[in-house]
Amino acid sequence: MTFSRRTALKGLGSAGLLASSGLHAPAISQGVAAKTLKFVPQSNLANFDPIWGTQYVVRNAAALVWDTLYGVDDKLQPQRQMVEGEEVSADGLVWTFKLRDGLKFHDGEKVLAKDVVASMDRWSQRDPMGLMIRGVQNELVAVDDRTFKWSLKKPYPKMLLALAKNNAPCSFVMPERIAKTDAFKQITEYIGSGPMKFAKSEWVPGAKAVFEKFADYVPRSEPASWLAGGKRMLVDRVEWIIMPDPATAAAALQSGEVDWWENPISDLVPLLKKNKNINVDIADPLGNIGSFRMNHLQAPFNDVKVRRAVLTALNQEDYMRALVGSDDTLWKPVPGYFTPNTPLYTEEGGEILKMRNIEAAKKLLAESSYKGEPVVCVVAQDQPITKAQGDVTADLLKKIGMTVDFVATDWGTVGARRAKKDAPGQGGWGMFHTWHAGADCINPAAYTAIRANGDKAWFGWPDVPEVEAQVTAWFDATDLAGEKAAIGKLNKAALDSVVYAPTGFFLGYQAWRKTVSGVVKGPLPFFWDVSKTA
Amino acid sequence: MLGYVLRRILSTVPVMAIVAMIVFSLLYLAPGDPASVIAGDQATPEDVARIRANLGLDRPFLVRFFEWSGQIVRGDLGTSIFTNLPVTSLIKQRIEPTLSLTLVTLILSVLVAVPLGVLAAWKVGTWLDRGIMALAVVGFSVPVFVVGYVLAYLFALVLDWLPVQGYTPIAQGFWPWIQNLILPSIALGGIYIALIARITRSAMLDVLAQDYIRTARAKGLGQTPTLFVHALKNAAVPIVTVIGLGMALLIGGAVVTESVFAIPGLGRLTVDAILRRDYPVIQGLVLMFSFVYVLVNLLVDISYTFLDPRIKY
Amino acid sequence: MVRLDTGRDSAARVDLPPVWPPIRLRTGVWGWIARYPSIALGCFLLSIMLVGAVFAPWLGTVDPTAIATVKRTRPPGAEYWFGSDMLGRDIYSRVLYGTRVSLLVGFSVAVVASVVGLLLGLVSGFVRWADGVIMRFMDGMMSIPPILLAVALMALTRGSVGNVIVAISVAEFPRVARLVRGVVLSVREQPFVDAAIASGTRTPVIIWRHILPNTLGPLIVQATYICASAMITEAILSFIGAGTPPTIPSWGNIMAEGRALWQVKPFVVFFPAIFLSITVLAVNLLGDGLRDALDPRGQKDR
Repeated sequence: MTFSRRTALKGLGSAGLLASSGLHAPAISQGVAAKTLKFVPQSNLANFDPIWGTQYVVRNAAALVWDTLYGVDDKLQPQRQMVEGEEVSADGLVWTFKLRDGLKFHDGEKVLAKDVVASMDRWSQRDPMGLMIRGVQNELVAVDDRTFKWSLKKPYPKMLLALAKNNAPCSFVMPERIAKTDAFKQITEYIGSGPMKFAKSEWVPGAKAVFEKFADYVPRSEPASWLAGGKRMLVDRVEWIIMPDPATAAAALQSGEVDWWENPISDLVPLLKKNKNINVDIADPLGNIGSFRMNHLQAPFNDVKVRRAVLTALNQEDYMRALVGSDDTLWKPVPGYFTPNTPLYTEEGGEILKMRNIEAAKKLLAESSYKGEPVVCVVAQDQPITKAQGDVTADLLKKIGMTVDFVATDWGTVGARRAKKDAPGQGGWGMFHTWHAGADCINPAAYTAIRANGDKAWFGWPDVPEVEAQVTAWFDATDLAGEKAAIGKLNKAALDSVVYAPTGFFLGYQAWRKTVSGVVKGPLPFFWDVSKTA
Repeated sequence: MLGYVLRRILSTVPVMAIVAMIVFSLLYLAPGDPASVIAGDQATPEDVARIRANLGLDRPFLVRFFEWSGQIVRGDLGTSIFTNLPVTSLIKQRIEPTLSLTLVTLILSVLVAVPLGVLAAWKVGTWLDRGIMALAVVGFSVPVFVVGYVLAYLFALVLDWLPVQGYTPIAQGFWPWIQNLILPSIALGGIYIALIARITRSAMLDVLAQDYIRTARAKGLGQTPTLFVHALKNAAVPIVTVIGLGMALLIGGAVVTESVFAIPGLGRLTVDAILRRDYPVIQGLVLMFSFVYVLVNLLVDISYTFLDPRIKY
Repeated sequence: MVRLDTGRDSAARVDLPPVWPPIRLRTGVWGWIARYPSIALGCFLLSIMLVGAVFAPWLGTVDPTAIATVKRTRPPGAEYWFGSDMLGRDIYSRVLYGTRVSLLVGFSVAVVASVVGLLLGLVSGFVRWADGVIMRFMDGMMSIPPILLAVALMALTRGSVGNVIVAISVAEFPRVARLVRGVVLSVREQPFVDAAIASGTRTPVIIWRHILPNTLGPLIVQATYICASAMITEAILSFIGAGTPPTIPSWGNIMAEGRALWQVKPFVVFFPAIFLSITVLAVNLLGDGLRDALDPRGQKDR
């Protein structure tokens, strides 16, 4: 990337400096401040390849730099973004897409169909929905500079959702030469066609990432709505300041050193609310679902009775309070796996999660094959969400009379260990904690954690044919009623065999200074339409 | 003397080689797996295995050690697994804040501690002496992060005199730069001040007990400031020595201080790298910190020849 | 801590004169206290901590790991003397049980580092061919700032009290080895040792009769400082998330968990911080006192 801050300042200089005399320097610096938005993201932007790395923070930054063919709006409906229009053959097998005119990459090159083809090829190797498309794909080819064609062996009705969804990895479009990178290797050039350019020279992983307005971006004419509509940047520069310590971030927001904090912890919210210069609101109405997974392959959790015993005793209130603090408006119990307040939400089969009965659990455990062997519970301490859940689980297992071998470690080690199918004593594991964004849990499309296809399933490897059958039924469903029926059965089957243990639904806050306006609720922070007064 | 300096410089080579060996073998043994962190939460085990092979994490120990050593000699500290950036450039990006913090702390500590130590020696046995020494013991005993939070709360949040966090490059002016460094330097300096003050006091007392000073006193110089200036000059060797050795405390403390004050320096880089098991970065950082430490103490040793003409080599 | 007698190739060897010079000689217990006020104060504070640690279960505590999320972050009061933390655990109980971890780590590291350092120092001082190898290796280890070395070691393994003790001991023992070797070399030069060697006394006997008694003083003082330093290092390790496992309440863990709430619930950090500071202070006082009492040169400065 050749663009540097010096060029940015030069640009500003011609606009601002010439107009005013050199003596009014403070006024200029104030003007610059108003055009720079300082944002504290949820975590560090350690790598920046949104196809290769699927962390939420990478996706959020990438949404500024790379544009997508389609984007979901705030009703989670796919809307055209880079695409001007599409055509699908009557048999649903051939999709023809036409790009908008005037799309440009940050290096000045035009966005061509061949760039899109290369990008979609790379994306479809890493994305769950992309892989499904790849599985039925005949060919993906560029027809001319602005047209490309995707032909399939079998119809894939959720094509537009796959290209529009906000779940990582999103179908970001990169120049062909970058998209040709092996999908399992990181890209080293961060050139997109999105509304902001990535200032690579100013990137300090662990501390700072800087984005600068891309002058040649042509927003759509529709109003912005999440990933859809016109992405109009009202600030010239967005600085991401990474602050691993919430107390420091809270202090910085209070003193005005930063403008917007993505995820203030709820215990600090009262402090922020007291400050008349700060707005606090729910970040994402779709929230998150807490989770711990048990290893279906190894004792003791290979016995469904043991898994059900844990679920019988589980009290989601304990987990949720440990996670979000004393504010009861921030959480609710979920007797199931799907995001509350979304069309497919169901409580079918959810009675087991409403019991919270230690005695019943003990009885179930006594009937099971459990013989007092220690449960290897791996807990990442560097993620507040997994840490808090781990502490509660340790207490829960102790209460129902299980022996706990609590392995406190970091997220990296959990990542390594959970992939091992060995016995817990030989480097394997019994259970681990994680969470899923509510946006990922509205339907099975990008919901890898709900799958139960044995060896191919997500860590824990549940093998429940009925769950898989209902996932297929949902994909094949043509109307909402059909989808709902499938999801209801799926939920029940998944709870009966305990695919994983949901620990509740929780919301997070975001906080910003009152000088900033245009902040919206959503599954990721949207920077378009956000402005700042000095 | 030149011979001595050369000998000392050469003697650091095997030390650094041993450090390199220790550092490499330490982290080779680490059980964490960066591959699965990179792969993200939705990755399949196959993804993880492929990433591991791509990163070369599956090759044997000696192959990786010799490859690494060769790179180090050429000034290449490898590539960060997480950021895909050269470790040297990560260090370069982060070095200014840490260097600033350390230097400001160093200057501040010396400016505060030496006069305190001299004062204590001057008023030896009085309550002033005991008060200063009591403070020094307390300075050793209160952890740096506790001091950090108390200072941030008091001076940044309650009084609003100084910024809470962050770092402003010196290129943006001296005042903005120093503003951000005052609180962290005081927090980090506590233990260092305590250390230097104590050594200054004792070195001063040692010198004051020397015959020639006794003679000077007997001749009527008494407790005059001039006497103390002379004595301080002669007490310089132990003081400089402890300043050099104390660098280890400073480096260790910087890790915590930078976390508390959100200073984007090498200390934070270290903590982040360790939590993420970014081996090349950890190796590079520990090696670099050790190199700096060895270098500082080399300079200290060489400085003896200037500070104390009585030392002949 | 004050690691000046590390025997580096430096021209400086610094001896610290007493920090708390005695005022007047008295006899009996009070006289002893007056003569060694710093040892007395250190012992007094330390024994309070020790009593707290040993008798924690009978000092009005509850299960320090019992979770009660409904009663989270209660301020100090009648129900929770020191308040409750983010999971509704009793901070008083946690802090008191935390004393065990801190003292255990401090003492164990002091002992382990001293024993390992003593052995290596003796070998180094007596076996000429081993001296070079061992000391170069010690030089290398001492060139890595101790906290960094401990943190790097903790990254190797899962957090447990045992591993914390090992990691900090590894970071600390080279200095002990240096110290002991220095004493051995200087004692070996003494005429009475020469005489003993000449008269055919076996090495173990020489070590037992002549070397060990001379090593003991500086070693005890060094061990005390290592103890203090180990307690702080443990807290720092836990604070940055590389220390004792969270299932064990240690002061560093309690502070690490409470630090996010520092502005709103300062008591979570406050109590363990006070306890840690007082304990480290006690050990440092003891070390200073012992140094003055054991160092024959200390007498001269009066």
